[in-house]
Amino acid sequence: MAAEPPLSLLDRRLVIVTGKGGTGKTTVAATLALAGAAAGRRVLVAEVGADEHVPALLAPGSPPVGYAGRSLRAGLDAMRIDPYQALAEYLSLQLPVGGIVRRLLRNQAFRQLMDASPGWRELITLGKIWHLEQMRDAAGPPRFDLIVVDAPATGHGLTFLDVPRVVVSAVRAGPLRRHSGWVEALVRDRDRTLLLPVTLAEELPVRETAELVERVRKDIGVCVDRVVVNAVMPAPFPPEVPDLDERLARLPEDLELPGLPGPRVLAACAGHLRARHALNARWLREVEERSGLPAVALPNLLQGVGGPADLELLVGALLSPPGNTA
Amino acid sequence: MSPASLADLIGSRRIVVWVGTGGVGKTTLAAAFALEAARRGRRVAVLTIDPARRLADALGVAELGNLPTEIPRERLAALGVPDEGHLSALMLDSKRTFDDLVTRLAESPEVRDRILNNRIYQHVSDALAGSAEYSAMEKVFELSDHPEFELIVVDTPPSQHALDFLDAPRRLLEFLDSRLVRLLVHPAFAAGRVGFRVFQRGAVGLLKLIERITGFGFLEDVSEFLLAFEGMSEGFQQRARLVQERLLGSDAAFVLGAAPGAQSVRHASALLAHLDAARVPLAGVILNRVRLWPGKGPPPDRLPDGAEADVAQHALAETLGRQEGADFPAQAAARAAIDAADGYAALVRADAVATQDLTGRMRDRGGFVGRVPELRQDVHDLEGLVEVAEWMFRDGEEAATGGG
Repeated sequence: MAAEPPLSLLDRRLVIVTGKGGTGKTTVAATLALAGAAAGRRVLVAEVGADEHVPALLAPGSPPVGYAGRSLRAGLDAMRIDPYQALAEYLSLQLPVGGIVRRLLRNQAFRQLMDASPGWRELITLGKIWHLEQMRDAAGPPRFDLIVVDAPATGHGLTFLDVPRVVVSAVRAGPLRRHSGWVEALVRDRDRTLLLPVTLAEELPVRETAELVERVRKDIGVCVDRVVVNAVMPAPFPPEVPDLDERLARLPEDLELPGLPGPRVLAACAGHLRARHALNARWLREVEERSGLPAVALPNLLQGVGGPADLELLVGALLSPPGNTA
Repeated sequence: MSPASLADLIGSRRIVVWVGTGGVGKTTLAAAFALEAARRGRRVAVLTIDPARRLADALGVAELGNLPTEIPRERLAALGVPDEGHLSALMLDSKRTFDDLVTRLAESPEVRDRILNNRIYQHVSDALAGSAEYSAMEKVFELSDHPEFELIVVDTPPSQHALDFLDAPRRLLEFLDSRLVRLLVHPAFAAGRVGFRVFQRGAVGLLKLIERITGFGFLEDVSEFLLAFEGMSEGFQQRARLVQERLLGSDAAFVLGAAPGAQSVRHASALLAHLDAARVPLAGVILNRVRLWPGKGPPPDRLPDGAEADVAQHALAETLGRQEGADFPAQAAARAAIDAADGYAALVRADAVATQDLTGRMRDRGGFVGRVPELRQDVHDLEGLVEVAEWMFRDGEEAATGGG
């Protein structure tokens, strides 16, 4: 597989970050946004879902950004795409009279019909993203160089990308079909759009990621060129002492060390990190093998990810060329 | 009266629904809970919705159909399940559940075929978001009608969608009840009534608008679908109402599965607020993959640093060197051992801090809090589930000071 080296993450227009809940999808989206802004790109990070999590990571304590969005720092805007607000915006653009739209969205029956109808949320959300990608400054250049989307958790994330295709094949004519066609073209544009799967180096997430990549290749046709493997435990011992935990366990149990916990606790801590490291190393290899894609490994920040300072620690690893994980 | 512990749910409830955001190991928790209930002599069915077939892996059942598959007696016996205990697992096949329901409710084979072949129906019942929730509710209902099962354990779709799951019957009900739908199905019925006239005028405009945006065919398909559906709507409504009653009634309980990462806890807290708003009675929370300190009590606030650390390192290196011989890189090894303890203590503290607020809120409302430590191996077999269950069913305080 002698492919061309993949484009840098920062050279895309649209990066859709996806992954099962708990894999650190939001962390990766926020880190990428931070990296883009630091590199001088004008970045928008858009969250899709009922709650906002990105602002808490990029600017802890800041009020919600909402659909209108807000700048969190120089060159970095954030918003949350609410499907009803996107629908209102879309309908206003389609119709000469704003009054009808407002009445329509207030209509209880219409809300119920919409609440019960599947698919449109995904479609309208992607439509909004398409619209954001199309936005231009008065002088001509795009309003945003890089749009990072924190997409729904994977199962639903793929549905999310597949809806335009379904609509194009199901709806016979009219603006909806035309607009879905535009959105589908953006999703499938390999120069502009990248799907960035995030996983953990553990069995089930890896298996699911491999399934995801397969489905993407088979059905969706969006470009995917690497897998981000989050929270990889670094090697905890010097290479000459791979079994340090076992050696610690052999120390006399009543040994007293100044200021340190006893040998059994030391051995248990070391053993835990060793096991996690071994598990992660194994599944990091497996994810490359099973998905056929190079991985980008992000280190486990033992203290957790609480704010921009923690994200900064991940920027270098996230932007490094994929496949250099050994 | 809320149950004091997870164990109280076994025997007192018919349905236990596990909710939680994705990635917390909810499927594992639900399966472990179900297995433990079987070990306590109950006849249990566990339903999973997750498309990744996690439960199939965990339960060692190669192909889970849309029907409950019994775990072989010998397997269960080996895990300490008594003769009266029983465990069946099933993986939800969303489309098939929907098709079965249509088949059951349709008034004639022609209507059934008209619905099953309608494009709108196919999209609704296919992989599009939301349909899994509808059919999951239906499946829970179906199972709870089975006298053969005393306890039904339900794993729900991940993340924000957990609420869609709870909301599915209401949404279906409201949709079928809505005047818009009635208008689409019975235009003539609405036309004669004064109260509907104003609405109808609005609705005609609305239909034109939908046509304009969507194209003609879409609307045609919708009305065809709704017309075909008409005869079944009462059946659907009745079922949806019953499902909802059963899930929010005293026979059912909800348990929140959560994981200790700051992000996961934020998501879990948001979910908790949503559940409260929806008045879903939550029995307790189980924190999965918590890092627990292997010593007595909490980890030390700080380990030595600077000169102090050098003293500690030398003392440890000396002991290690005596044990391992002269060639042993004792200083580097001692340093690594201290760093490992330091790093692991940081993980333990981070987990405790991250979960503090969530567990506090849960205790304040009289719910239970359980912890399952991060195990050294992924859980992928029944033995692993037993281990998880043993932690899950320990008293919260005891678990906090135990070690793995």
